[in-house]
Amino acid sequence: MNTTTAPPKTAPPETVPRFLPADTPVLGRVTVVIAPQPVELPVGLVRRLWRFADRNRTVVLFALFLVIADVAVGWFSPVWARHSPDDYAARVAGCAREPRDLVFVGGSPVSEGIDPDKIAGVSWAGKTLDSTYALGLSGGTTSDFYHAVLHGCPTPPRILVYGITASDLNDSRHEPHGPYSLMTWGDLGRWVRLRPESAEWVTRHFALSRVGQASNLFRYRHGIRMWATTSAEQQLPGSCPEAIREADELRERSAALENGNGYAPARGYSVGRYDVAKAAGVQPTELPYLRKFRTGSHLKYLHKLIDWCEAGGTKLLLIDMPVTADLEAIYPSEFTEFRLRLAEVEQSRPIRVIRATRESVGLTDAHYADLIHMNRDGAVIFSRWMRETLAKMGR
Amino acid sequence: MIFASKAFYLFLPTVLVLYHLLRRRQHKYGVLLAASWLFYAWLSPQYLWVIVLCTVIDYAAGLRIERAGSERTRKGWLGVSVAANLGLLFAFKYTTFVYDNAVSLAQLFGAPLHDRTWEILLPIGISFHTFQGISYTVDVYRRQIQAVRSFLDYALFVSFFPQLAAGPIVRAVEFLPQMATPPRVTARQVADGLHFFIIGLVKKLLLADQLDQLFVGPVFADPAAFDPAAHRWACVAWAAQIYCDFSGYSDMAIGCAKWFGFELPRNFLFPYLATSISDFWRRWHLSLSTWLRDYVYFPLGGSRGSAARTYANLIVVFIMCGLWHGATWAWFVYGLYNGLLMSLHRIWDRALTGIPVADAIRSTRAWALVAWAGTFLAVAAGLILIRMPSWEAGGIMAHSLLGFDLLTGWSRMIPVWVPVLLVVIAAGHLVGGWRERVGRTFDVPAPIRAAAYVVAVVLLVTLSPGIGKTFIYLAF
Repeated sequence: MNTTTAPPKTAPPETVPRFLPADTPVLGRVTVVIAPQPVELPVGLVRRLWRFADRNRTVVLFALFLVIADVAVGWFSPVWARHSPDDYAARVAGCAREPRDLVFVGGSPVSEGIDPDKIAGVSWAGKTLDSTYALGLSGGTTSDFYHAVLHGCPTPPRILVYGITASDLNDSRHEPHGPYSLMTWGDLGRWVRLRPESAEWVTRHFALSRVGQASNLFRYRHGIRMWATTSAEQQLPGSCPEAIREADELRERSAALENGNGYAPARGYSVGRYDVAKAAGVQPTELPYLRKFRTGSHLKYLHKLIDWCEAGGTKLLLIDMPVTADLEAIYPSEFTEFRLRLAEVEQSRPIRVIRATRESVGLTDAHYADLIHMNRDGAVIFSRWMRETLAKMGR
Repeated sequence: MIFASKAFYLFLPTVLVLYHLLRRRQHKYGVLLAASWLFYAWLSPQYLWVIVLCTVIDYAAGLRIERAGSERTRKGWLGVSVAANLGLLFAFKYTTFVYDNAVSLAQLFGAPLHDRTWEILLPIGISFHTFQGISYTVDVYRRQIQAVRSFLDYALFVSFFPQLAAGPIVRAVEFLPQMATPPRVTARQVADGLHFFIIGLVKKLLLADQLDQLFVGPVFADPAAFDPAAHRWACVAWAAQIYCDFSGYSDMAIGCAKWFGFELPRNFLFPYLATSISDFWRRWHLSLSTWLRDYVYFPLGGSRGSAARTYANLIVVFIMCGLWHGATWAWFVYGLYNGLLMSLHRIWDRALTGIPVADAIRSTRAWALVAWAGTFLAVAAGLILIRMPSWEAGGIMAHSLLGFDLLTGWSRMIPVWVPVLLVVIAAGHLVGGWRERVGRTFDVPAPIRAAAYVVAVVLLVTLSPGIGKTFIYLAF
């Protein structure tokens, strides 16, 4: 609004109301001319957005820079992945690199206890099984293993060996790593139909994983942290003693998963000795993965796996993985129920279950790192036994 | 729900969008009140009734006080409000303390009173919202403000979620006028809100939590396993941690409130730049210290009586301040310690002021440095009381801090990142204090500000500890 003042040319009419008392003399007069308001033309969306951006420059620039930073982080994703691999995704990608003759799948007992190199070359029905891979997913469940096989074996292998144990079938377990790293939208739909009782859980975690993966910064945050730790350690040796141990192990694992056969045992399990720990008075009294044991829901995915093998012409073998006697003693009813389920599946479906007892394999407490995980010596013994067993079966 | 949790990052944008989409005042405030009660109930749904009850009582008491015909009725309703707030606070916070001490006393005299086998879970933010309620009814009683007519307005004033769990303690006179019409959020508020929120997150996740995890936690848990130099560094790091933790929460609260168009009072003014203990309490947890000044110290007589009466008032106020934080003897001693320091400082100040030589010395920079060092040492020594796991452990830490042990500056037990983090905090303090003194606010060009915030976010996402620790002041 523009206002201008100008000296009066003529006296105003006396009818103009006065706000001062009647006897107050008029010392001077001004005329205020108010220019008409300019007609507001409709403002376009672009102009309005520009105005908003101009007003909120800091916030808009912050959002813009954040997107740029996120894209920049994405460009270096191989660096971050090398420093902190997504274990499940890396194993699935490793398995899918080439068509496989023999694939082992299962949880941490498989990832720690089976070295495919010790088994590769075994003869099955007159043909050697050269390309082998261990798809061992620590902390996984049968539902996760089904998805791992589905995406890790685009070409169905000749033989699929599932090293199963009681905790794989425990319906009280819900592990978010599966929805995060293994599942697609189609897998989500199948899960919701097949296991409606956990539909809310899987949808929530799947959605969270997709939101998390939308940002490179969030997705690779641990890799960036490990990279920063390694860089800091190079500049200031001894500055991050604990973090650098983790970073070293993760880099080692990343290299093993990138080029190897899936056998990348954790450092702690590899050298651990359960018998020594027991002698020192350390004796675990429980395995959290077997808490509140109940079966039925994950089992549906075992049937899906059997269907998948039948459809692809893959021979499926289930191995009841050997665990320590102490674990079976702590959870007798859980192992009874688990083995009952295996027997039911064996009766109802055309699969073979191999009962790998400690005695038949030759394992003692000295070959375990803890209640359930074999150490490196245990893995050597078990892998050799596996090779012999497959050789016998394949004749 | 707490700030810096995953749920909060879904909650906050949802509430902001809803609030700004709505046009009518009642709807806006209704949504904000519902969100605030949800925020409260997220952590302790069984205690939602506590805040609702306090709100109803104080709202009704405020109206009754204003409408009462006689002074006696006014006093009666004020008494109802104060008794209700303090009664609930006492019941939840101090019952176990009183019971435990009664048991100890009874056992001393051979009486058959058994140890406690029960625990009382503290409702979130009870120490804050009860004090807020009391200040409201007292202000209405003193005719400093008018009673609020709308229950919605009053309930929102008490429950406004950014400051609900850990303050600042907002006065009605500061907040209610802002509520007359829903405040329009300015571009400046949006930018400053972002600034405060990110600064708060950095203080909490990158500084406080890292210091705790790296060093402060292990040293205070087992001081005997560390050497005196490590103790000294841990005391300094603990002082930095508690400041970053609490002021970080306050900053996030201030930032959040700005996004709704509200202004909350500053709670910290760079307290570790203080050059005396009274200066420190004018900079630390301002909303509590001014509350205690206005509603306890002044009614007790303040400094209007004799010197002895003034010192007694100071000590009473600071013991209350200690016990407000926690119902333990350690907090009692912390309050007593600060009350004594305040009294001693007052004696010292009175004795020297007016003596030309003393005034000349006290106005020099060298003296300011000595005063600053002495104040920081006294504050850090006091803070040991509230972190020590036992009196023995506290004794070891204090012994080392105050230099009764061999005075060594460094040991291999101190992670190299601890001094780095402390330097960052000290630099932030110095720069902030300087800007405060010269009266300059956020005058950095927008692109630089924005870039700095992005760097902060990158650091927050990548370097903050995986497991979020709760804010220390939520326990109060």
